[in-house]
Formats: sequence, C-alpha cells, structure tokens
Amino acid sequence: MGYLGMILAPIFLAVFVYALFGHRPALVRGIALATFVLQFVFSAHLFSQLPDTGFVLLGSFLAVDAFHFALTLQVDSLSVVMLLLSSLLLFLVTLSSWTIEKPAAYFSLLILFSGAIMGVFMTSNMLWFFMFWELTLLPMFFLVGIWGGERRIYAAIKFFLYTHAASVLMLLAFFLVYTQTGFFDFTLVKEAAIATPALVWWLLFIGFAIKLPVFPFHTWLPDAHVEAPAPVSVLLAGVLLKMGAYGLIRFGIEMMPETSREFALYMLAFGLLTAFFAGLLAIYQTHIKKMVAYSSISHMGLVLIAISTVSYEGLSAALFEMLGHAAIISPLFLIAGMIYQQTGSYQMRDMGGMMQQAPYLSAIFVLAGMAALGMPATMGFIGEVTIYLSSIKIYGAGIAVMAILSLISAGYLIWTFRRVIYGECSPLMASSAFKINPIEFSALLVFAVLIVLFGIYPQPIFDVANQSFFMLGGH
Amino acid sequence: MSPFALLFGGALLSPLIQGGYWLKGLTLLLLTIAGYNIWLGEGVGLAFFAQTDAIRFFEGILVLVAAALVLHLDDTESGRLTQLLFIVAGSMALLESTTLLSFVISFEALSIISFVLVSNINSEKQAEGAIKLFFAGATSTGIVLLGLALFTLSGQSVDTPLAATQDSFVLVSLFIVLIGIFYKLTIFPMHAWAADSYAQVNHVDAAILSAVMKTVVALATFQLFSPLLTSLNQNMIIGLAILAVVTMTLGNLLALYQKNIAKMLAYSSIAHAGYMLIPFAAIASHDAPTAILYLAIAYLFMQTAVFLILDRLHKDQGIASVEDLKGLARKNPLYALLFSVQLFSLAGIPLLAGFLAKAVAFYAGVDAGLWPLVLIALLNSALSVAYYAWLVKQMYFDEAYNPQPIINKAGFVWSELILLAGTLYFGVVAVDVFRVAS
Repeated sequence: MGYLGMILAPIFLAVFVYALFGHRPALVRGIALATFVLQFVFSAHLFSQLPDTGFVLLGSFLAVDAFHFALTLQVDSLSVVMLLLSSLLLFLVTLSSWTIEKPAAYFSLLILFSGAIMGVFMTSNMLWFFMFWELTLLPMFFLVGIWGGERRIYAAIKFFLYTHAASVLMLLAFFLVYTQTGFFDFTLVKEAAIATPALVWWLLFIGFAIKLPVFPFHTWLPDAHVEAPAPVSVLLAGVLLKMGAYGLIRFGIEMMPETSREFALYMLAFGLLTAFFAGLLAIYQTHIKKMVAYSSISHMGLVLIAISTVSYEGLSAALFEMLGHAAIISPLFLIAGMIYQQTGSYQMRDMGGMMQQAPYLSAIFVLAGMAALGMPATMGFIGEVTIYLSSIKIYGAGIAVMAILSLISAGYLIWTFRRVIYGECSPLMASSAFKINPIEFSALLVFAVLIVLFGIYPQPIFDVANQSFFMLGGH
Repeated sequence: MSPFALLFGGALLSPLIQGGYWLKGLTLLLLTIAGYNIWLGEGVGLAFFAQTDAIRFFEGILVLVAAALVLHLDDTESGRLTQLLFIVAGSMALLESTTLLSFVISFEALSIISFVLVSNINSEKQAEGAIKLFFAGATSTGIVLLGLALFTLSGQSVDTPLAATQDSFVLVSLFIVLIGIFYKLTIFPMHAWAADSYAQVNHVDAAILSAVMKTVVALATFQLFSPLLTSLNQNMIIGLAILAVVTMTLGNLLALYQKNIAKMLAYSSIAHAGYMLIPFAAIASHDAPTAILYLAIAYLFMQTAVFLILDRLHKDQGIASVEDLKGLARKNPLYALLFSVQLFSLAGIPLLAGFLAKAVAFYAGVDAGLWPLVLIALLNSALSVAYYAWLVKQMYFDEAYNPQPIINKAGFVWSELILLAGTLYFGVVAVDVFRVAS
C-alpha cells in the first residue's frame, strides 16, 4: 500500500493541501519539499532493493481481471533512475522557485505533478501508464498558463492540445497490443504475438516523438519553454522530455526490438534532422531562453540517434545523455530566468558583461554551457562521445559527420557567452543589482556539482545502464 | 416494496404537500428508501420487466444522481421534484423492459414527462426550446410507432424478448424503431433540435434531458436491441460506425464555435452521443456491454454536474456566455474547481470517470476490429479538449469583468460533491462496473 500511496496520495491530496493551507504558503512549500524528499528517499530505497537485472514487483492494485487492467507497480533500474531524477529535479525546482508568486497554488500543482510522474515511471500496465502520462499535462497546463509570460495562454493551450493529440495515438497502439496479445502489462507482451507490429510501432513512435520532441513535431516546445517560468521549464526539459525518451526505450526498444531495428534508419533520420535543425535554429535566436530551448531539442535529437542504434552501447549512451541533459539544461534555464527577473529582458542584445555583475552566476552558466557543447570532464562530453562511438559502431564511420553538431553547439553557446557574460557591461546589466536568493542559488550549485561529478566519474550511471539494457548484450 | 411503485406513488401524491422545504425532505427520504430497495434487488416487479445486475447498479446510481438534483433545487422549484420522481420511475421501467411493447410504452411515458418538464416556462426563449423538444419528441414517437406497427405486420410477437434474426423485414422495422430512438439520443441527422433545446430550456431541465434521459435511453436500447445488433451484417455495422463518427465530429466542431456555455455543452452532449454509439457498432466485442454501462454512468455524473453548476452560476450572476466565466477562480474558487474537474472529465483526462469510460468504449471498438473508427474518435476526443480547456482558461487565466465574489450555497455544494465523488470513484476504480456488466 505504501507504494500506491506514493503515487495516489500526492495526486488526491494536492487539492486539499491547497484548500486547507492556501493562506499559509510557507507551509504548503514545506509540504511540497517534504513530499519530494520523501519521494527521493523512497526511490533511493527502491534502488537499493533492485535485483541485478529485470523487474521487481511492488504489488498490484485495483485489479479488473476481466480487462487485465490493474495498477501493477513494477520497477527496474531504468525506472528507478527516472524516479530519482524526477524527485531530485522536483526538489531543486522547489528550491529555485522559493520566491514565486501565488506560492500555495504553485506548490500544490507541483505536488500533483509529482504523484503523476511517479506513476508514469512505476507502473507496468500500459493503460495506467497512459493515465498517469496524461495526468502530468494537467498541472503543467496550469503552471504554464498562470505563471507564464505574455503569451502564456497561447503556449499553455498549444502545449496541452499538441501533446494530448499525440498521446491518443499511443493509446490506440496500446489497445491494439492488448487486443492482439491479451496483455496490458508490457513485461508480459511478446513481440512475436503482435499481429500488426509496424502499425503499433509507428503509432507509439509518433506519440513519443512529439513528447521528445522530434522535428517536425517540436513546435509546441519552444513556445512552452519561452512562456513558462524558469523552474517550470526545468520540469519540462528535465522530466517531460525524458518521459518521451523513456517511453520510446520501454515500448519501442524493449517491447518491440525487432520492429525497432527494422525502422532504425527512420529513427536515425528523425534524430539527425532534429539535432541539426534545432542546432541551426539555436544559432539564429536572440532570445536567450529560446536559444536554450532549441539547444535542449538538439540534445534530445542526439538521444534519439543513440536510441536508434538499438544496441547496448547506444542505449547506455542515451541514458547518460538523458541524465546529462537534465543536469546541463536546467541551470541554463534557471539562469536565463534569473537574468530576466533582474533585467526584465530576454534579449541578448540588451545584455553583456554579466561577469562583472554576478560572477558566480556567470561561472555556472559558462560551466553548463561548456558542458552542453561537450567539454571534457563534464557530463556533456561523456554523453556525446559515447553517442558518437555507439553510432559509429552500428552505422559505420560515415555517421561521424554528426561531430559537426558539436561545432554548431559551440557556435551558439560561445557566441552567447560573448554576448551575455563577457564584454562591456550593458546599461541594462549595469543597472541591475543581481540580488539572488541564496536558496535559489543553492539549486544551481547542485546542478554544477552533478555536471562535474558525473563528468569525471561516470561509472555509476553506466552500471545502472548495464542493469537496464542487459538483454541487448551487456557485460 | 417495489421502488418503482414507491417512486410512482410518491410522485402522484407529492402535489398534496405544501411547502417546498418539506417536499424536498420527503423526496430525499423517498429516494433513499427506493435506493435501499434497489440495493436489496427489487425492480419494477411487473411482467415484461426484469432487472439484470448491470441495470440494478445503474438504477442505484440514477437514484443517487436524482438525490443530487433534489439537493440542488431551490425551495421554490417544488414542481420539478414531482417530475423528477416520475422520471426516475419511468427510467426504471424503460431500463428493465424486456420486450418491445413494454419498451415502447415506457419510452412514450418518459417522453411525455419530458414534455411536462420543459413546460416550466419563464421566457420566450425557453418556450422556443420547449416547442422544439416537443416537435422532435412527437416525431420520434411517430417513427417508433411506425416501426412497431411494421414489426407486428411481420407476424412477430411484441411481448417476447427480441431475438437475433435474418428476416430483412423484421430488421428494417426494428431499424425504424432505432431511428426514432436516435432522436432522443441526438444522433446525426436527428440531432438538430437538441442543440437549441438543451441550451434554451432551464439548465436543470437540460441536465435531466441531456444527462439522465440520454443515458437511460442509450442503456435501455442497448439492452433490448443487442440480440438484434449481433445479427447485423458488416455493412450495417459500418453504417452505425459512420453515424457515430459524423455525430461526434459534428458535435465537437460546432461546440468549438459556441460563445454560449449552454450551447457549447449541448453540442458536447451531441458529441458524447457519438461516443455512446461506439458500443452499438462494436457489438462483436464482449466488452461492449461494459462499455455502454461505463459511458452511461460516467456521463450521468459529469453532464448533470456541469449543467447544475451552470444553473447555479446563472442564478447567482446571470452567467451565460463563455466570457462571463472570466475570473471565476477568484470569485469562487470552489465552484471553479468543481466545474473544471467535471469539464476535464468530459474531455477525457485520466483519473476521472470520463477517461475510463471512453477508454473501455474505444477498446471495445478496437476489439471489434473497428480501429479506424476508434482513431477518429480518439482524435475527436483530443479536439474536444480545446473547448473544455477554453472554459477552464476563462476561469483561471483571465481577470473578471465583475469581480463581485459568489457565495457558496450549501445544498448546491452537497449535490456537486456527490457528483464529484462519482466522477472520481469511477475514474480510478473500474472493477465494479466490470463485475456487474459481465
């Protein structure tokens, strides 16, 4: 029951927290923090319980035998890593939105979101997976729509409709799998039993690709990222995009490896298109948050390339890059948000010389930026290099052409440093005090430590990948 | 004691009692006793009527929703209490009908009560809505009777349960009966009256017509006609599927353009009629009976709830157009929350009844081999999020024109909490519905 409570309690109690303690925002914030800490501890506990390979069954609830519909909670190392990542990000997001407006409603929505996201990564029943997947949209819709920027309503509704429309295709795929194999539980589905694998695979792929997001289905993301407040952008990039990659690995690769191999070249093409297209668009941006958003899409393109190899090395690299992406893009978004808070502008032409005003903030921005372009001793380097190596192994040396991507990202990031961090102090920068709340700053420090720590000592993540992707030929 | 007799007798005697307050209490008491009797397993208790587990379960829920309706009504609306009792009794009769004859008689009775219901007229607009309903209802009756007459001509007995048949004359006559019934279900092209009527009559009446009547008729029709549906050939099934697709697409597209909330909900109701037709087309799946029951239960809770909230808002601040909703979250956070939850349920957002109901219905469609139909239905459902989210946007993201707060009203809040409990419970716990339907 405790496991079930971890998911359903936040979902159903969030409203009560708001209704009862709405007038005491600090208490709501405390409850939110406590929830996320508890979830992190719980995930860490699960991590220690994991067997060497495969799933551990935590229980099955609300079973409807006639429909094979049960809230079956099963986790393997991949899902536990996602749980750890989500709860850690939620905790850091709470820290970095310490001084947000209308805090009671905001933190209640975060609590609701935490329950839904736990459900996404813990259940092995496809219908429940879908239900939690969809439920994550609801708090996000309000978080973008209420706390967002000028065009927040447009962005919120576009985000909601776009991602919802995508996921209905996924639901159809799940129904087809169930009617053909007789199981809603993805651990029981055998690929050979699926009668129309191509149809199912493409429905699933489009559903996950829009979340990832893959060119040409990415247009919701820049809007949502730009309008969302910075901490919500962190959740979007760090958790929601990961849901797309997680779904693709779970259902595309693990459930249907043969079909995935058959369509690997399409995945590769989509991945390359996304990485290049988003990278080139990032160069073109003058809006700092939009630049970070496109850089984020470009990195998710790399993840898709790694997934497309359908190999042990590729998926390990994909997992590393997913975690690296969360650690790298989050501080970039947060600092972009802080710059806006201080100067009132997102336009890079108004900026310059931030190093003189806020040296520590600038240092973290540069560190994260260098990690994004793949500087050694950061998570970005290990992620990109392993992706290059694994794709060369599968697709041959020609694929090394994607090293140009590093060049592109160097292009936009170094130019951004030039425009924002270094150079003469612009009048707008000079007039800003840059008083950053120490709690909000501490969240940035955690990200910086993570980037360097796993950049120097990546082995723990590869150990987890080894457990997760053993069936594809691990060691 | 038979809950049917209890409700029917209570309805006949209720005009004797003066004072709305007392009558409300007595009605609630009567509904409680009837609900208890239904729980004990009693139904109409006459020949040609029989109660299955699924029907008994639904009747229990119907009584609960009727209680919520009673709690919502003002003390001055005692006339509606009588009509409500008649409607619950008539619905029980329709749901339990086992033969074509008893079905047609109950169907007529229910139609006539609905005419009486909408004759609580206060304005010209309401009169227009009532007259439209009357004409559509009369046409529907005529067509049903035509079908019944043809059916008797075929030499079939009207007082035995329908059975699978390949006799095309019988099939045609029963199809004519179905077309008459489709008027009440607002299936394209018999839907046009509903958009106006639901929007123009009093909102409580609209709740009863669009939620109670529609679900009861859909469920009863499915019960009675399922043997017939299994004998339909592939082309006729595709015909039903096309009707479903056109109805839902038309309802959703037109709902997008509405500026009046009641009209938007009316078109959304037409779209939902399209979803309710999916189990009819998916009769080959053994999940179809569960699907129609689940859809009926979920729709009963959420549609009643949204029209009652609209009624409350209309009574308090004259809210009618979508723009009037602006800033409701600040004027009354509770009402805005209740409204949003039910709207999200209608939109099919998970952990709410609307999602699971649609999921089961859509699965039945896939199971019956109609996955293209289901794909269109899913895309429709995604499209419908646009207008439901638009209403939520007005409530939460916009500033109010008229910032005067709305004060909570106890009876209404209780009635909404009952309906909310249903929406949440059936959104998470599916096992009961599957148990009674199988």
